[in-house]
Amino acid sequence: MNKFSNRYIFIYSAVLVAVVAVVLTVVSMSLQPLQERNRQAETKQMILKTIGVEATRDNADELYGEYVTEEELGDGSRYYTFEGGCIIPLQGNGLWGPIWGYLAMDETKTIVGAVFDHKGETPGLGGEIASDKFASRFVGKSWLKPIVLKKNADKNSQYEVDAISGGTMTSNGVTAMLAKAHEKYGMLAVAASSTDKTAERKEAEK
Amino acid sequence: MKKLDLIKLPFNKQNPITVQVLGVCSCLAVTAQLKPAVVMALSVTVVVALANLIISLLRKTIPPRIRIIVQLVVVSMLVVLVDQVLKAYMYDVSKQLSVFVGLIITNCIVMGRLEAFAMSNPPLPSLLDGIGNGLGYSVVLVTLGFVRELLGSGTLWGYPVMEKIGLFKIGYENNGLMIMPPMALILVGIIIWIHRTRNKDLQEQ
Repeated sequence: MNKFSNRYIFIYSAVLVAVVAVVLTVVSMSLQPLQERNRQAETKQMILKTIGVEATRDNADELYGEYVTEEELGDGSRYYTFEGGCIIPLQGNGLWGPIWGYLAMDETKTIVGAVFDHKGETPGLGGEIASDKFASRFVGKSWLKPIVLKKNADKNSQYEVDAISGGTMTSNGVTAMLAKAHEKYGMLAVAASSTDKTAERKEAEK
Repeated sequence: MKKLDLIKLPFNKQNPITVQVLGVCSCLAVTAQLKPAVVMALSVTVVVALANLIISLLRKTIPPRIRIIVQLVVVSMLVVLVDQVLKAYMYDVSKQLSVFVGLIITNCIVMGRLEAFAMSNPPLPSLLDGIGNGLGYSVVLVTLGFVRELLGSGTLWGYPVMEKIGLFKIGYENNGLMIMPPMALILVGIIIWIHRTRNKDLQEQ
């Protein structure tokens, strides 16, 4: 058969693509349960990290059961509690794709731990949000108001955190993500607080 | 050419990185630590070897007009397979390699060997050529990963070597430049320098 004929080329590429598609589908389907388990273990590892528990993927399940309780808001969205406070999930968009994280706070809504991750931010720039160094900037801040990422953030402010140099778009994404989470989970933290609620709400509105 | 040479030459006079100067980009990106370097090296070796084999088997049927597309489809399939397997069995490593696994598709070594060798040679030599070139790439990657992790972070495969032998106590410090990509380029340069000094016939006039 003439390898230069259009018919040959069309048939050849159609068959090739079909074969490749079948192979990929079969492999992807058969590996999915394992990959799903890895992703869940990773989520548990992240949550544990916010309260200072270092877990490996193998013991994450066990430690998670020991330290963390899953709770639900009225609308079915999930949050977590641990002894002495609660952990809220964060979800938003960075520059190139989704970003997410968890914030752990004690009863006075002081942040005790944070962790962030991303799907495809630029390594070394926006990707830095996944680093421990960035997450540690949140420790000791307050969740009475949404925290804002800023260039040259005021060190004394409870609501400002240094943004990432070279990662402005990702930083803005984190700020938006925090604002969204505060809208959803802010009152939750108030309810969990032992101090006077109205006073704190006023504080938050300032 | 003898079959053994197909494996041996890429280690030395036909090394894909230091002589053919292919695949340099990924070699700068993934060698800050030993572990991702080794995994990347193995992944590329598997992809080059299998791509060479498959393309060589198909070589008589491939329509010349769309041969590059056919090669890319085969390579992409293999890379997606590697990515899926890593995600299932070596999740941490796959996170660390993230975008670079996808970039194997564009690794010049793969396309280079397909065009230069597999399109015109039988399956067995092509497979050997792929393995050889993959391993030649691996040698450089692992060397870089070893040096950069040891001097840059003071660890090897995550094990704190420098701390254990007590160098920090006598004032030793990690070299931060080592973990930056530019240092990898400088190290590749040094390797090429040594390589060419020892092999005079590689030197251009």
